[in-house]
Amino acid sequence: MALKCLTRTLRSLTLSQPALLSSQAAAQPKLGAQVPSAISLYRGFLTTASLEQNRTLWKNMDKYTIKPMGMKKTGGRDHTGKIRTRGIGGGHKQKYRWVDFQRLRYEPSKEGRPFEEKVVEVRYDPCRSADIALVAGGNRKRWIIATENMQAGDIIKTSAVIGRMAVSANEGDAYPLGALPVGTLVNNLEIQPGKGSEYIRAAGTSGVLLRKVNGTAIVQLPSKQQVQVLETCIVTVGRVSNIDHNKRIIGKAGRNRWLGIRPSSGLWKRKGGWAGRKIKPLPPMKSYINLPSISAN
Amino acid sequence: MIRLIAKTMRTDKIFKKYILYDKLNWALWLTKSSLIHGLPSHITSPAAVPENQLLNQDERVQNAIKHARFWDTTEPRNTLLHNLLHLCATLQPTHPAIGRRILAENYSLAASWKRGDDLFQVRGQNGLLHCSMDPLPRVCGETEVLETSDQILESFYPVSPTIDLQQVNVYKEEINCSGFREGYPYPHAHTLYFLETPDSNSKLRPEQFRAKMIMFTFGNALARAHKLYGSVLEHPITVQAVGTNGRIFQFLVFQLNTTDLSEDDGIKNQVWLEEDVELYDFAKVRPLIKRKEVKVRIPL
Repeated sequence: MALKCLTRTLRSLTLSQPALLSSQAAAQPKLGAQVPSAISLYRGFLTTASLEQNRTLWKNMDKYTIKPMGMKKTGGRDHTGKIRTRGIGGGHKQKYRWVDFQRLRYEPSKEGRPFEEKVVEVRYDPCRSADIALVAGGNRKRWIIATENMQAGDIIKTSAVIGRMAVSANEGDAYPLGALPVGTLVNNLEIQPGKGSEYIRAAGTSGVLLRKVNGTAIVQLPSKQQVQVLETCIVTVGRVSNIDHNKRIIGKAGRNRWLGIRPSSGLWKRKGGWAGRKIKPLPPMKSYINLPSISAN
Repeated sequence: MIRLIAKTMRTDKIFKKYILYDKLNWALWLTKSSLIHGLPSHITSPAAVPENQLLNQDERVQNAIKHARFWDTTEPRNTLLHNLLHLCATLQPTHPAIGRRILAENYSLAASWKRGDDLFQVRGQNGLLHCSMDPLPRVCGETEVLETSDQILESFYPVSPTIDLQQVNVYKEEINCSGFREGYPYPHAHTLYFLETPDSNSKLRPEQFRAKMIMFTFGNALARAHKLYGSVLEHPITVQAVGTNGRIFQFLVFQLNTTDLSEDDGIKNQVWLEEDVELYDFAKVRPLIKRKEVKVRIPL
C-alpha cells in the first residue's frame, strides 16, 4: 500500500511538471494530448526483496512489562538472510520474559534509599538456563535472575550504600562490591556501574570477590579470568539458581532439537591445531576502570 | 494537575496471572475494616420464623430456579435474581417496609478517600441497588465498635498496597456522589446486588469478586456519609450486599464506623461476610436425543 501511494505521488509530480520532460516529449512523436504521454513517462518501483528484515524488532518496547512477549526465532540467520551461526533452528516456541538486569533500579519517587522486595514466584525461563523470580516491591513487579535458595515469600534487599564495615550479606541481596566482605560468592556482575549486569548469569555459576583495592574490586569470573571493576558496581550474593543444570542428561537427539539445536554435519573432518586440551597461563587481569592513569600505562 | 491513584476494576490491562490483589485483606486494608465470618444473628434469625416465610416457599423457589436454569433464553439477563427478588417482594402485605424500597440499575457511584499519602477512588456502575427511604439500623453497638480499634490491620511490607491499582490523573478531589440527585425519595442504599458477568474476558476470581463487593459497598456507605454528615461521622451507616454467579451466593453486611481513614489505627469499619452459600446442589440438564437430533433438554 505504501508502494502504491509512492507511485501515485510520483505520477502526480510528473503530470504537474511537463516542462521537465520536454526533451523526451519532443523526442516522441506527439500523438495525443499531454496526459497520455506523461503517463508513459513514469516508471514504477521494483522491489524484489521485502523491505523489512526479520530482526529483533519484536523487542522494541519502551515500557517495562512482566507479561511474556512472543519471540521471533532467527534460526542462526543474520540480516542478510544467510546462516551466520550453524546449528541453530527449530525448537519449541518460547515466550520472552523481560528480565530486569539492573538490580539497583529505583522507583520513580524513591530515589537513593535502599529498598526491599518480596519474591512472589520462582519459575522456569525457557530463554535461559537459570530460573527467574518475580519480585514485587513498592508499586512495581519485575523479573530477576533467581539465586540458589530463593523461594516464594523471601524478602530480598537492594542497597547502594558502601559503609566502612563490610555487610554480612544474605543470599539474594544486592550490594555494591565495596560493601561485601572479601571471599563472598557473587553473581550478576556489573562491569560499569549502572549499566546492568552482563556477567555471571548462567545456571549454577558464581564469581568470587578476591580483593578490594582502593576504590576498585577484583572478581574472579567462572572461567577463572580475573576482572577489575569499580567498587560501586552492584552484584547479587550467592550462586545462580538451577545448579544441577550441567548434570542433566539430554538422552536423545530429539531433546536437543526441542532446545533449538540443529545437528552438526556428520562428515568426518580432520581436526586442526584448535582441538585438544590446552594448558596455558591465565590471561592478564582485565580492567574496566577507565582512569586516565591506567590508560597511560 | 494532580497525580492520584484510583481503583481499577478492569483486570485485562494487568497481566492476570500475577495480580497480587488476590486476597481479601487488600480490600480490608483499603477500607480500614475488620472481617467477621458469618452474618450477624439478627439478620439470619428472622428467616427461620414461619410468619416471615412465603406460602409454598420451597416449591416457589424451586420453580424460580428451574425458570432461570432450564426454561430461560441465553440472553444476558439475570433471571434467577429477579425471580427471587419478586418472591421476596410478595411478602409486602405482611412487611410494609418492603414497599418503601425500590430497585435501581446502572447508577454511577463515585467515592473518594485519603489513605496515608494517597487518594483512592471507587467509581463505576456495579449493577443493581435496592434503595430505601429509611436507613438500615446499625448492626453493632458502641462497645463492639470501640473494640475494633484494638485490631491491627495487616501490613503488606515490602509491597505497597497500591500495587496493581490503576493510576489516574484527577482534577477534582473529594468527589462523592451516590449516583442519585438531591431530593430522590429513596436516598439510603439498602442492598447491592452483584452479578457475575458472563463475559469471560473480565472474569473475576472468587476472592476478587468478594473484594469488589466490599469496595463498592464501602463506596456507597462513604458517599452516603459525606452527604449526610460531612467529614465527621455521627452514626454508623450500614449497607448490605449480595453477590452471585447464579449458583453460589455471597452475603455481605458492611458497617461504616469512621471516615477517618488516613491513619491505620483507631476505630475500624466492620464487614460480616458469608461466603459460598449454595442455593441448590445441582441443576444439570440432559439433552433428549431422538434419532441423532437434540429434541429437548430434560432437567435431572
